[in-house]
Amino acid sequence: MKSLAGSVDDLLPSLLSAFGPPGRESGVRAVLRRALRGLGRVTEDATGNLHLHRPGKGPRLLVAAPMDAPGVIVTRVDATGLARVAILGNRSPAELVGAALRFEDDARGILGCDRPKSGKNGTEMEADQLFLETGLGPKEANRRFRVGSVGAIEDRPIRLGDLWCASNLDNRAGCAAVVAALRAAGSPRYDLHVIFSAQSDAGARGAVTGAFGVDPEAAVVVDVAHVDPKETGGAAVGKGPCLGLKESGFLAHPEALALVKRAAAGAGVSTQWLIRESEGSDARAIRAARTGVPTALVAIPARRSGGPVSFVHARDIAQTASLMARLLTTPPKSKGGRR
Amino acid sequence: MSRDAGPPFEERFLETFSNAVGVSGGEETVRAAVVEAVQDHVDSLEVDAMGSLVARIAATGRRRGPHVMLCAHMDEVGVMVTGIESDGRLRFRKVGGIDSRILVGQVFRIGKNGLRGVAGTLPPHLISRADRDKVAAIEDLYLDIGAKSREEAQGRVAVGDYATFDTTYERWGDTRKGKAFDDRAGCAVLASVVLRRPPVPVTAVWSVQEEVGLRGAAGAARRVAPDLAVVLEGTASGEAPGLAPEESAPLMGAGPALTVQDRSLMADARLVDLIERTARRRKIPTQWKRPGVGGTDAGRIALSGAGVPAAVISVPCRYIHAPAAYLDIRDARRTVALVWHLLHSLTKEWP
Amino acid sequence: MLRADERSTTEWLQHLSALPGTPGHERAAAREVEKAFSLYADRVERDRVGNVRAWIDGVGAPPRPRALLAAHMDRIGFLVKAVEPGGYLRLTELGGFDPRTLLGKEVVIHSKPPIAAVFGTRPPHLQKPGESERVLPVEELYLDSGRPEREVRRKVPVGTPVTLRQPPVSLLGGRIAAPAMDDRAGLVVLLRTLETLRQNRPAWDVIAVATVEEEFAAVCLGAKTATESLDPQLGIAIDVSHGDMPGAREGETVPLGGGPSLCVGGNIHPKVVEGLRSSARALGMTVQIEGCPMGSSTDAMDIQIAREGVPTAVIGIPCRYMHTGIETVEPRDVDHCAHLLAHYLGALPEEWRATEVLK
Repeated sequence: MKSLAGSVDDLLPSLLSAFGPPGRESGVRAVLRRALRGLGRVTEDATGNLHLHRPGKGPRLLVAAPMDAPGVIVTRVDATGLARVAILGNRSPAELVGAALRFEDDARGILGCDRPKSGKNGTEMEADQLFLETGLGPKEANRRFRVGSVGAIEDRPIRLGDLWCASNLDNRAGCAAVVAALRAAGSPRYDLHVIFSAQSDAGARGAVTGAFGVDPEAAVVVDVAHVDPKETGGAAVGKGPCLGLKESGFLAHPEALALVKRAAAGAGVSTQWLIRESEGSDARAIRAARTGVPTALVAIPARRSGGPVSFVHARDIAQTASLMARLLTTPPKSKGGRR
Repeated sequence: MSRDAGPPFEERFLETFSNAVGVSGGEETVRAAVVEAVQDHVDSLEVDAMGSLVARIAATGRRRGPHVMLCAHMDEVGVMVTGIESDGRLRFRKVGGIDSRILVGQVFRIGKNGLRGVAGTLPPHLISRADRDKVAAIEDLYLDIGAKSREEAQGRVAVGDYATFDTTYERWGDTRKGKAFDDRAGCAVLASVVLRRPPVPVTAVWSVQEEVGLRGAAGAARRVAPDLAVVLEGTASGEAPGLAPEESAPLMGAGPALTVQDRSLMADARLVDLIERTARRRKIPTQWKRPGVGGTDAGRIALSGAGVPAAVISVPCRYIHAPAAYLDIRDARRTVALVWHLLHSLTKEWP
Repeated sequence: MLRADERSTTEWLQHLSALPGTPGHERAAAREVEKAFSLYADRVERDRVGNVRAWIDGVGAPPRPRALLAAHMDRIGFLVKAVEPGGYLRLTELGGFDPRTLLGKEVVIHSKPPIAAVFGTRPPHLQKPGESERVLPVEELYLDSGRPEREVRRKVPVGTPVTLRQPPVSLLGGRIAAPAMDDRAGLVVLLRTLETLRQNRPAWDVIAVATVEEEFAAVCLGAKTATESLDPQLGIAIDVSHGDMPGAREGETVPLGGGPSLCVGGNIHPKVVEGLRSSARALGMTVQIEGCPMGSSTDAMDIQIAREGVPTAVIGIPCRYMHTGIETVEPRDVDHCAHLLAHYLGALPEEWRATEVLK
């Protein structure tokens, strides 16, 4: 049987290059469908979430991994053929300068910045300071790029030793970890629902509807979190999966956290704590679904480059997969949880 | 496919709804006007727990689906009286998003009786040069109703009373001027559409409290549980002097504006595509709303239950969230036609 | 020592405000809250997210309508984010403290066993010029427990909750200043309401809920999930309102001792607030009316839009110096709120429709 690390290495490149900005996840959905063959019943819902159901005896568990990755949407095309864009998802405009983009009909462009990088009055740069160079004249540009055209970051992943360097690691790395865990898991000890969620980066939207539909008794979110070890209590890349204690809109439920900690210990995976102030994940939506869901967050640490690319350690992804595989196959101590 | 032109746009609805008072949280008067407009044409009519109006209309030929929710919001931005000073001046706060700069010197209609008050401030003669350039914070403004004491004011107004801009509907050429076209334009379009029995089952919702957080649509969508939803809005057109054409979109007079994405919603791609193709087939001009701007009830409805495919069709209006808005009556007519033909497209092409 | 059910309102305020229970860690207070509610409720239970629910079964013919009363159990505080060389602790906020009021204050770190600490300050003698003009944000504050680093690292894991340590202070006029009157004063209102309803049962079922995580996120977790689960026909939140103080403009505060404050605005169903005003008139009780143009910022915001919509209202307890360690209330106001609420619930008609059918 292929090792978890091997599974991840196989899956990740095709996931990274799949088209899937928030709300337009068709490309990554297709890649995931292929990867999930034989692992359970796969359906798609009205928000675009991809659901996998693996029926089993035991509490109803939801594992959620966002599948969208930030992209852009064209807001207008000017008289010279340059397009202006708004950003879809959680990326700053400054980070996307120089990014290569691919649009739904395979049209391509590069993002540039025609004014100083810092915004007016020294504030942060705004999306409107980016321009999309398409290489086309005004008539052709207007024909191929209309208002509302959606583009994804064209990813060209590089492996530097153990480090993955790519633009769409958040959260394609999380998706790869979950698929690898499913493949390794054999018979889960739960009635297992997996959601590869849509529009996560647009405010955990897929998680809202997906969790309502499943109505789970407990949930674990697998995501990627950008960390800075220089920050007080900051986690580091290469030191293992992060367990979320607090992030925007989410505080870990103690029983769900205990479930994840037990799985980490059982799999021999050392973990770090994650506290983040202004960023969040699907966890904030899932915890409030229906009558409430005890929820935990497992996040693969990543480091920013200041540009389109992020860095993730291959071992952190494999360890996350290992932790999740162990979680799925360990019988729960109690049904759902009380606080 | 429908061969007829569909129901006309009833301008009398726009005039009545626009003149009616209905700030977020106090929509009763507008709701009464909508009830009067539609009650003879719908199969059932109810007011829900938050005050939204929900009308169900069965389809011609008793078709069962798809079940379509059409939604427009009844509330407008305005202000609320929050305090009465000992000298009879009223303190007030915004309800919804308003540019503070339009408040000063504005005339308001206050409370159920429409008592008039003016938002006064020190005249230019009496303030320093430096202060003339500052935008007054609303906490420093007050409404003057002419009262000389708190007791006198308390006889006429109360804390909690709503106030709206004192604007009257007018027309010239194809232009219409009035307050609250966001979203009385949508309300009038919706009321016009339901005057004729649709080809699919429709639940029409005139929602409350959209301007203070898309609130009325939440419970309404859960109650209605439609197969898909289309929200009808009066949206910000982008025109202003000196702007290049592509920066001015959507334009008044260039047809209904279709949303691809805004801050609340990624419109359902298939539904938007169907709307666009329907418009082209019926030769209705449409334009794209600028992505990333604003939010609507559709954002709330799309996330209801296990998810609802949703889209937004808007009448472009200038100067929304300000006392006097403009729209082009032809855009309102086109929006009614587009909605009507969309309902017919749905019988053949959904899902 | 008085039996629990003989405690005065002042004593309940003192008792409940001393309990910990930051957002996400309300279980540290839940046991005591359960005990308190058990004095009067027919049954008390804890739900999945940690809300404590206390039931009073009504006497009307089944199926009886249900009223949900909500006061939040969580109090603002912090989590330990990191331990630094020297044993100093850095914090992350849970809810919005007034950062101007933290410097030099004592805290409790809720490790096992709890440890006392203080927000460290530099004495004026050692400060740079202008340093004392600047308010320090939470990221720049630190705690000193007076213990060596090794001991701190061993005893205080990352994620340990921290609350202000300030015993309740009795002021003139029976007034009391303490941390967490927001919203432990609301819990006392629930308690007193349960006490009255137990002796004078209403037609409706009444469920008093001590909710979790009201102070933390944009969505009040406890209020939303409790509404989804209980499917009430009516929801009333009891929370604190800004009490009067100099510098506030007309309409921004309500007077301490002036009785319950009733919100009006979009978050409030006109029928419910009218019913509360009617009860106040029947009792000869003065109430204040508070304009809430953009919502009430209480559990009622999330009760109102849950499920298919719920008629809601808010009863406010006047409270000065909100979100500090010296939140000040008047016990008489607390009693009046409970009195009003019990009267209103007792007067609710059995035939009640949240919706109105026109055709």
